[in-house]
Amino acid sequence: MAASATSQVYIDVIEDVMVKVRDEFVNNGGPGEEVLKELQAMWESKMMQAGAVLGPIERSTAAKPTPGVTPVHDLNVPYTEEYETPTAEMLFPPTPLQTPIQTPLPGTGDNSTYNIPTGPSDYPSSGNDTGGNADVKGGRPATYMQPPSPWMNPRPSLDVNVAYVEGRDEADRGTSNQPLTQDFFTMSSGKRKRNDLTSQYNAGGYIPQQDGAGDAALGVFEIEVNGGDISINSHHTISKGKMQADVERLTTRIPQLDGPAPYDDEIGTPNMYNYEVFSDDYNISNTPAPPEVPVSTPVLLAQNEVGNDEDDDDDEPPLNEEDDDELDDMEQGDDQNTHHLVLAQFDKVTRTKSRWKCTLKDGIMHINNKDILFNKATGEFEF
Amino acid sequence: MATFELYRRSTIGMCLTETLDEMVQNGTLSPELAIQVLVQFDKSMTEALETQVKSKVSIKGHLHTYRFCDNVWTFILQDALFKNEDSQENVGRVKIVACDSKLLTQ
Repeated sequence: MAASATSQVYIDVIEDVMVKVRDEFVNNGGPGEEVLKELQAMWESKMMQAGAVLGPIERSTAAKPTPGVTPVHDLNVPYTEEYETPTAEMLFPPTPLQTPIQTPLPGTGDNSTYNIPTGPSDYPSSGNDTGGNADVKGGRPATYMQPPSPWMNPRPSLDVNVAYVEGRDEADRGTSNQPLTQDFFTMSSGKRKRNDLTSQYNAGGYIPQQDGAGDAALGVFEIEVNGGDISINSHHTISKGKMQADVERLTTRIPQLDGPAPYDDEIGTPNMYNYEVFSDDYNISNTPAPPEVPVSTPVLLAQNEVGNDEDDDDDEPPLNEEDDDELDDMEQGDDQNTHHLVLAQFDKVTRTKSRWKCTLKDGIMHINNKDILFNKATGEFEF
Repeated sequence: MATFELYRRSTIGMCLTETLDEMVQNGTLSPELAIQVLVQFDKSMTEALETQVKSKVSIKGHLHTYRFCDNVWTFILQDALFKNEDSQENVGRVKIVACDSKLLTQ
């Protein structure tokens, strides 16, 4: 059955339900026709969002202007005149409503019977809605986004070097995980001020070359920037030449670089220091100073405590990942993630050895994001 | 008329359930009335499938899991192929949930 045909059946079902529950809404102290219209409008708009109904909806009872259809959310459907003047009520119905849904309210007990099927859909629905949960979610991406950023830093070659050396150091010392973060802190502590200064030159892309000694490299960079485009190439060679020298200097200067770290620690309060560590993470790959790591072991220990917040952040993603894995293995997860589902009635199911045959009828399939209805279906499965 | 709540898990059923949820939480709708709407949906959906839908589908695939519990068959197919008159769809993994049709006619 084609999508348009499915859409038409859905529209008819919505219409049929509306007609048949109308009595309950209008009479016997029901909430009234307006609420019924609101229900229909929300239902239809959700269907359009899901792509299951191809709007605009044409009705046999076309006298109804379908006032409640919320065109804002509906990106798939071209505007038509009748939808163009939505009231604020229509525009924002989900906003105040969305958030409370997930939190158990006194009425939840009553709802639980029909709440059950909703379960899996809560998350997708709130995800689609830019309204209600935006505030809640707004805070989270920031914390999630921070950790990946050092890896995404566009200086792969340097990244690799840093990671490699660090990894080896860890292995040598027989410690796990923690030194990785400690290394970051150390490097950042030594270079913090210089990074702050040079961060604005990042566009140039040659920051790594100024690692060894702050003053000399800074000079190079200032020249580059002042000189403009023309002179950049020449300074390339200069800076590259310097880099090797700088690296050599770097190794000899390790004790000096190490010095400032504890010094800073003593001066700065842990909290202040911590914040700077966060911002410095972005520049880690700019300042490959792994050799200093082994030297500065005592500093690392001290900073580990300071860096506990960072460690907490590191702990979170693995937890989430495990959750996802569990979901993948579970059938419920399949429902949520793959969304391929066939709902039907069976007439007969038979098996001969490992060959299964079944006849189904009156089914709704949701496959590859398409809704397909069928009157009859035959299945042949190999177990 | 007996009905299945099965179809509430379809797209249209989920959309309705979400809407009713919101309206009940909002206080616009009583839970009792919301359930009445859902029951009516069960009836209307079943009826529409019986009367309006004529198409046939064939399904083939590797049966990964089967289960028959409380008169409900559940199949999980891998690498399934769905064919109907005008199209065919390949799916890596699909779940089929089917209630006993005889329960409706009783």
